[in-house]
Amino acid sequence: MAVTSVLRSEFFHNYRHSASAIIGSGLMALFAFAVIAGPFLVAQNPYDIAALDLMDSYKPPVWLEGGDPRYWLGTDGQGRDVWASILYGARISVFIGVVAMLASCALGTLLGLVAGFYGGIVDSVIMRIADIQLSFPSILIALFLMSAVGTGVDKVLIALTAVGWVVYARTVRGSTLSEIEKEYVQAARVAGLPNRKIIRKHVLPNVLTPLIVIATIQVGTFVLIEASLSFLGVGVPITQPSLGLLIKNGFDVLFSGLWWTSVFPGVAIMMLVFGINLFGDFLRDELNPRLK
Amino acid sequence: MAQESETPLLAVRDLRTWFHTFSGVVKAVNGVSFEIGEGEVMGLVGESGGGKSVIGFSVLGLIDSPGRIEGGEILFDGEDLAQAGEERLRHIRGRHISMVFQDPMTSLNPLHTVGRQMDEVLRLHTDLGAAERRKACIDMLESVGISRAAERLKAYPHQFSGGMRQRVVIAIALLAGPRLIIADEPTTALDVTIQSQILKLMRRQIAEKGASMILITHDLAVVSEMADHITVLYCGKVVERGRTRDLIESPAHPYTRGLIDSIPDPAARHDRLRQIPGSVPDIRALPKGCNFRERCPRAQALCAETEPDLTKQHRSLWAACHFPLVPGDVQ
Amino acid sequence: MTAAETPVLEVRDLQMHFPVGGGILDRLRLGRGGVRFENPVVHAVNGVSFRIAPGEIMALVGESGCGKSTVAKSIARIYRPTGGQVLLEGEDIAQHGFARMLPVRAKMQMIFQDPYASLNPRQRVRDIVAEPLLEQRKGADRATVRDEIAALLARVGLNAEHAGRYPHQFSGGQRQRIGIARALSVRPNLIVADEPVSALDVSIQAQILNLMKDLRDEFGLAYLFISHDLSVVHHIADSVGVMYLGFMVEKAPRDVLFARPRHPYTRALLSAAPSIKPRRDVEEIALSGEVPSALALPSGCCFRTRCPFAWERCAAERPKLQALGDGQQVACHLIDEPERDKA
Repeated sequence: MAVTSVLRSEFFHNYRHSASAIIGSGLMALFAFAVIAGPFLVAQNPYDIAALDLMDSYKPPVWLEGGDPRYWLGTDGQGRDVWASILYGARISVFIGVVAMLASCALGTLLGLVAGFYGGIVDSVIMRIADIQLSFPSILIALFLMSAVGTGVDKVLIALTAVGWVVYARTVRGSTLSEIEKEYVQAARVAGLPNRKIIRKHVLPNVLTPLIVIATIQVGTFVLIEASLSFLGVGVPITQPSLGLLIKNGFDVLFSGLWWTSVFPGVAIMMLVFGINLFGDFLRDELNPRLK
Repeated sequence: MAQESETPLLAVRDLRTWFHTFSGVVKAVNGVSFEIGEGEVMGLVGESGGGKSVIGFSVLGLIDSPGRIEGGEILFDGEDLAQAGEERLRHIRGRHISMVFQDPMTSLNPLHTVGRQMDEVLRLHTDLGAAERRKACIDMLESVGISRAAERLKAYPHQFSGGMRQRVVIAIALLAGPRLIIADEPTTALDVTIQSQILKLMRRQIAEKGASMILITHDLAVVSEMADHITVLYCGKVVERGRTRDLIESPAHPYTRGLIDSIPDPAARHDRLRQIPGSVPDIRALPKGCNFRERCPRAQALCAETEPDLTKQHRSLWAACHFPLVPGDVQ
Repeated sequence: MTAAETPVLEVRDLQMHFPVGGGILDRLRLGRGGVRFENPVVHAVNGVSFRIAPGEIMALVGESGCGKSTVAKSIARIYRPTGGQVLLEGEDIAQHGFARMLPVRAKMQMIFQDPYASLNPRQRVRDIVAEPLLEQRKGADRATVRDEIAALLARVGLNAEHAGRYPHQFSGGQRQRIGIARALSVRPNLIVADEPVSALDVSIQAQILNLMKDLRDEFGLAYLFISHDLSVVHHIADSVGVMYLGFMVEKAPRDVLFARPRHPYTRALLSAAPSIKPRRDVEEIALSGEVPSALALPSGCCFRTRCPFAWERCAAERPKLQALGDGQQVACHLIDEPERDKA
């Protein structure tokens, strides 16, 4: 019943007829699969020192002269399989992107609801912090925080959340301001509902839709910021290399002709972010009635 | 109507404007015909979903996808606008046919002064020089009751109140001396004292300029004070038309009767209003036979089988009903 | 209404002023005298008084911006009034906090104007209708509530299977019935109805007005009925108050007001209303200009800027409501100087 109604819906119809939606969600599905099944697809665990063989270092991709059929995208200086590194690195990148997005969304939505619903001094304080936040490039703020708190996956998550909540807070505050003017919120007051219940039952469910687009695209943004941080050496530790760290590791030898260690992780990031943005654009067109 | 006399200014014949939406074809206008002679005011009345605004947009050639004019003729002065190209329509719009909408903000550009927007109409549609255009604008603003007109030309739309804005829209609509004005709910957004000012203004201007008007509204009281003829729409079709007095005093179609009876009448001391039961059917799934039969007190078996055609009734009335009312009938 | 009866609602000198414009930075003005703060105030309601007897329908009419909706929302305590008293069955609720308002909500409910905005699109009909009820009876038995909701829906002309649907599956008139069922759920004595039919098609309007009258007869409800439509007011109201710019300019039983309107504004309203009946010999009072801003009220009489009769006294002195007999009260200097009443 629910399935057929989805299949017959206008949303699904438009999805099937949108190339960007299909390519975008295809790429996203590909990465989701890689993240879940990655370790089962490759023989070598690149972080198990015992599995590495220095004899295999800097093997070129398999189609070049000297390529090794075991390492089809080649290996790095420690003899790590680049393909395996990408699969393992994508796990960390996607994990950081998704978790930081969820945390930003939760924090931003809460602050936005409070600011919009209660107004006054609370609103002023929250929104001025957001304004100040927005007047710096987010990478700069993240960089600043990371250098203050040190590196690590948890630290990256904190830095990204500190950067990412603003966009939700502003959007939610705006929608909340227009929601609380609606008559059904006034009706809830007349019904005798306390503020917290009004927010939870009447405001929150009606301000979430625009967040879907923001959240989708933000995962891509976060993957890129995390990659930049790691590239600059203040992101994830060497023991948990994300795609960004892989690029950095290969970057040192990029111009000695050993390009594959850096370029393939770069292509992976590009495909991931490209897929997310394509799908995000489709969602924006679908969910924003003003563009129709 | 102007049936046998000289050719009417506007003759719409069997107009069909459909919208192809995802959830089905909305036949917003489905076989509508009417005529307007020179200097006449015709009221187009119906409830929401009746298709009355779509008729106005169809005449102006302003139907956008997913809507399409599927068939029929829109003969303006003998020329079929349904077949005319965009170029030709653009020339006719503003010059020969102009429009007044419910929300004056949609027809005024908030970024330009009133003077500039008025001047643009004259530049497009007349050969007047700059000084003559300015004078024409000032005269027109004064004639719609805006004082200090020369000064007001420099003002932006937001500097006017709702009623004043609608006066500006009317001034713009009249500026190029159009022969037909389509007014879509021109006073619905206005307060009643402002509404009566605007209606008086429109009536006087139309009479002075000898123009014709289609007045689209849900408000029978407004059309009954303004129009010479009334056409009543229901579910995209004409259910009744005729001279205003005939139609208001003793309508032939039960729907028209129901509309009139739904208006609280201070003179009649009923405790309850007569009401039309139920609500307008979904236009994507209209019942077989007469569209109104499920709400009609006079419906019989025949009404479920065949859809009635528009036929001649008493006095000047034409109605699409198998069992029409005659004068003296009480529903 | 007889004076002896305790009114279900009595409003005394109600005032509602709204500060304009948001934060501290928005109100900061740089001028010749240096930096200063501006605190502009909208005078939405400026001392309105009236009373409603049990089972009475009292209408407030006026044009947009006259403060009639603000009166309704201050009484229903969506707003906290700036001043004055709101006595509901003798209890002044004007400054009640949340906890003290809760039992009051069982006596007074509200019907809203826009049938599309007054129902949460993400709630099912049964949850919408049960909302006020569940706040009054915490931990109520589910089956009892369900039965009550079904009975309420049936009473307003919907059926039980509608309970599981969402608002978008209904027409405007049906949605307004849902809103009425919600208001009825706690069995109030007073319903504040803010333009309940103005967004509806005329044939549906009649259905809702009839329903509201039937419910009054059945439950002994009193209504405060806000409307801009004189023909609707004439049909439904027992008594009528005419508002202009936040003031009550005239107040009278329905028949008195429509037969003998005394305030120039009431007369202008009546003569401006379009009618399907051919014009009887109604006096025509055409108003010039538009309603002044509630940010800066005119001195003296609020109506003098548009009044065809206004003279010096009207600018100098604000007229008070005076009783004229038959329950009619008018705030106009013409009452003292009738010889000036020549159009």
